[in-house]
Amino acid sequence: MSTVNEAGSAPAVRQKRQSLWVAVLHTGEGMIGVTLGIGMVLLIILGRFFGPSTDYNVGLPGSGSSAEHWFGTDTLGRDILSRFLHGGDTVLLIPLIAVTLALIIGGTLGLFGAYWGGWPDVVISKVFDVILTLPPLLIVLVIIGGLGASNTVLIITVALVYAPGLGRVVRGTAQSVMVNPYVLSAQARGESDLAIIFREVLPNVSGPVLAEFGLRLTYAILFVATLSFLGLGVQPPAPDWGLMVAENRGLITVAPWGTMLPALGITLLAVAFNLTADAISRVLAGDELSRLAVI
Amino acid sequence: MSTAVMKNGSACRGGTSEPGVSVTDAAALVVEGLSVGYHQKDGGVLCVAHDVDLRLYPGKVVGLAGESGCGKSTAALAAVGYRHPGGVIMSGRSLLGDTDLLQMDPADLRRLWGGQVAYISQNAATSLNPALTIGRHFDEVLRRHADMHGAAAAARQLELLGAVKLPDPKGALDRYPHQLSGGQQQRVALALAFACKPSVLILDEPTTGLDVTTQTHITALLQELIAETQVAVMYVSHDLALLSTVSQDIAVMYAGEMVERGPVKELIAEPLHPYTNALLRAVPSARARQTIAGIAGEPPVSVAADHCAFAPRCPHAQERCRTEHPDSRELRPGRSARCLRVEELHGALRIVVTHDGYESPAAAAAGESTGHFLEVKDISCYYGSRHKRVAAVRDVSFTLGEAEVLGIVGLSGSGKSTLLRSIVGILPDYTGTVSLRGQELARNARKRPRALRRQVQIVFQDPASSLNPRHTVEQIIARAVHLFREDVARGKTSEAVAELLEGVKLSRSFLGRYPSELSGGQQQRVAIARAFAARPSLLLCDEVTSALDVSVAATIIELLRDLTSSSATAVLFVSHDLAVVRTIADRAIVMRDGLICEQGSTEQLFCAPEHPYTVELLSSIPDIADVRAGRTVEAGVAPVC
Repeated sequence: MSTVNEAGSAPAVRQKRQSLWVAVLHTGEGMIGVTLGIGMVLLIILGRFFGPSTDYNVGLPGSGSSAEHWFGTDTLGRDILSRFLHGGDTVLLIPLIAVTLALIIGGTLGLFGAYWGGWPDVVISKVFDVILTLPPLLIVLVIIGGLGASNTVLIITVALVYAPGLGRVVRGTAQSVMVNPYVLSAQARGESDLAIIFREVLPNVSGPVLAEFGLRLTYAILFVATLSFLGLGVQPPAPDWGLMVAENRGLITVAPWGTMLPALGITLLAVAFNLTADAISRVLAGDELSRLAVI
Repeated sequence: MSTAVMKNGSACRGGTSEPGVSVTDAAALVVEGLSVGYHQKDGGVLCVAHDVDLRLYPGKVVGLAGESGCGKSTAALAAVGYRHPGGVIMSGRSLLGDTDLLQMDPADLRRLWGGQVAYISQNAATSLNPALTIGRHFDEVLRRHADMHGAAAAARQLELLGAVKLPDPKGALDRYPHQLSGGQQQRVALALAFACKPSVLILDEPTTGLDVTTQTHITALLQELIAETQVAVMYVSHDLALLSTVSQDIAVMYAGEMVERGPVKELIAEPLHPYTNALLRAVPSARARQTIAGIAGEPPVSVAADHCAFAPRCPHAQERCRTEHPDSRELRPGRSARCLRVEELHGALRIVVTHDGYESPAAAAAGESTGHFLEVKDISCYYGSRHKRVAAVRDVSFTLGEAEVLGIVGLSGSGKSTLLRSIVGILPDYTGTVSLRGQELARNARKRPRALRRQVQIVFQDPASSLNPRHTVEQIIARAVHLFREDVARGKTSEAVAELLEGVKLSRSFLGRYPSELSGGQQQRVAIARAFAARPSLLLCDEVTSALDVSVAATIIELLRDLTSSSATAVLFVSHDLAVVRTIADRAIVMRDGLICEQGSTEQLFCAPEHPYTVELLSSIPDIADVRAGRTVEAGVAPVC
């Protein structure tokens, strides 16, 4: 269908609206990040169906690579490859759920703080600031020390650690969106607060927030792995990658794969999300320049 | 190699100049056949400036005019050897004395720029390094280009800052750019440009971001400096009124080509090219209410090789204009135009100023007073928190008749936009009352009954940010229809939106587009359609044409005039542009620092101003009518209408 321009003149070439993900895939790091990310997620979800079962595949503790155990066995003689293939889900899911929860809590507070301004904004910001001054490990130690270690506690704790950072990003972005005349225009129409927040503000903060989300997810993956390594996160006998590094580090000279393989998995997962987050921020930064709209 | 010799100003002709072309006439810069392109993603080169010829003479100003996107800045910068990232110079030469700037290597060019060739950009704030003091800026320039150090350099700095009339030059040297006002920053930029006695100066909209009165001061200063230093100047601007007052010659660019050039007075009285004619017809004047006509459509992004680029928008286009590319034709010495029909059209394009028959319904019904439709009484509007409250508007009162168009003029910071925001109910911190047909309006829009809210609509200055980038044109307008139009059934919204678009002369195909896919003019039309979706009885326009090109602004003014007079909508039209206000408003208010200085009919206010501030404003804005009539306007003296 041809476009009829006013006065029938030749339409000037304008930037076509392009999907964020298409643009992200066109950047080098976006392509690598997204491909690697999909690969890792597939490995975590489907790996268990291809690898040998964890339960019955027990050999000599701390043995190196062999035909039966490709990547050797751990301290208790369990097959490292099969534990690796089964152990990725907590590494991915706990940070994912935790950071999503952080976004919901922090983002909502940040959004309303930015919208209302005044004292609610001051209170919300100060609470964020106070949490940000506390060392994350200290928060985790106190909460897990008090409530005991379980996946639920872990998720809530990590969410609490990451909520202020995400909240601040949402608040900052929303504040810059709030001053746009399209928001003023909605106010002049007499729209309700919720209508303005959901129709006018929220869609326009999602881009930068997505980039921040990807970055925080990277941190959270490393953080949860660290916690598991320290014994505060996922508890034995679960085949978690962070936990595996901790359990097998004594055997690093004899059966190096016990630490190397899960460490590699954590690294690749973190790198994948980090590259994707970088690509998103880069696309959005270019977007600012070219005024190219992004879905 | 040869450039090194030429740089020293020796008489060596180098290998670049062709025989038969005189380079010994007085021109400081001779640009011939300059073509510039940009590398494309697909490996090709998109030509954005083609076959540009220009001569700059010492002490003279050549104005480069045209709509944005016509290659003015690209051509001006390429003429002194600068290429934007991705830009390539495809052909041509640019002789500064005997040196071809286009053949010079980057290191030699850098030695030239800032010294012999100076450039001033639109935004002084970004052309000064925020981390360096003003003094450091001068140190750098003087050391690099004039080899001046220590006491000599210090003395020269003070001399320069004195020459640009910066208050307290000594103190300014230790200040940082952000500690100066916009006008002062531009003065510093001027002083820097003139620091090494340049022979060529490129000005790219140097006063566009400034307030009108500051603009006049900077322009006057510029003219003084040009006369004193005899620098050859290329002045790039879209503002024909301004160019006609500062330059001796004007060159008009369209789609990367120079379509016409000639001496100012001849060109603005009798343009040879239909594009120049159209541009001039879009320029409003504060001296008389005259008919203005915009140019529909937009300029193409690149040079047209096989047809006249202006043909699609040209009222005089014929079949051959669409199949043949015009060369520049000289009608008589000094006057040439790139138009196939230049001889035939000669005389037909003369600018005839038509005094306007336009009247708003209110003015037409003058005599029988329509009563006070809108009454604003003792309104003071405040910004800031409870502790640091600043009054942006103080004790302002005025009334507006039914369907009357009232202009509010003033500089930035005069409180005119604040006033509109309080009236529409988005800046509720005010004292005093606003009543519509005798009914007092609640301070906050949300507390007003829907029927009242519907009646007051607002259109903002920046069209790009007044539309939500995540909503389609249809969604944007449909929202207002949903809220305010009970007569439109739910299923018929799309139909109603299409009708509204038609009202602002946009086709149905715009329904599914996002704001980023529209031009500035189209975005503003959508914003106007959104306001008219509510069928308002009062429309508030906040600088609605300020972000647009003159040609586009004229189409918006035409549209607003049509829509408001056909629907008998009253308008509060806020603008810093007196000429635009003259064109659209029946009455006007002059505001300064939150107070009303003077109010009256536009006729009276613009032709017989009483308040000295009104006189100052009127005399500081360059007006094309003055140039046409050969009048010079003195600062502080009320101009003749």
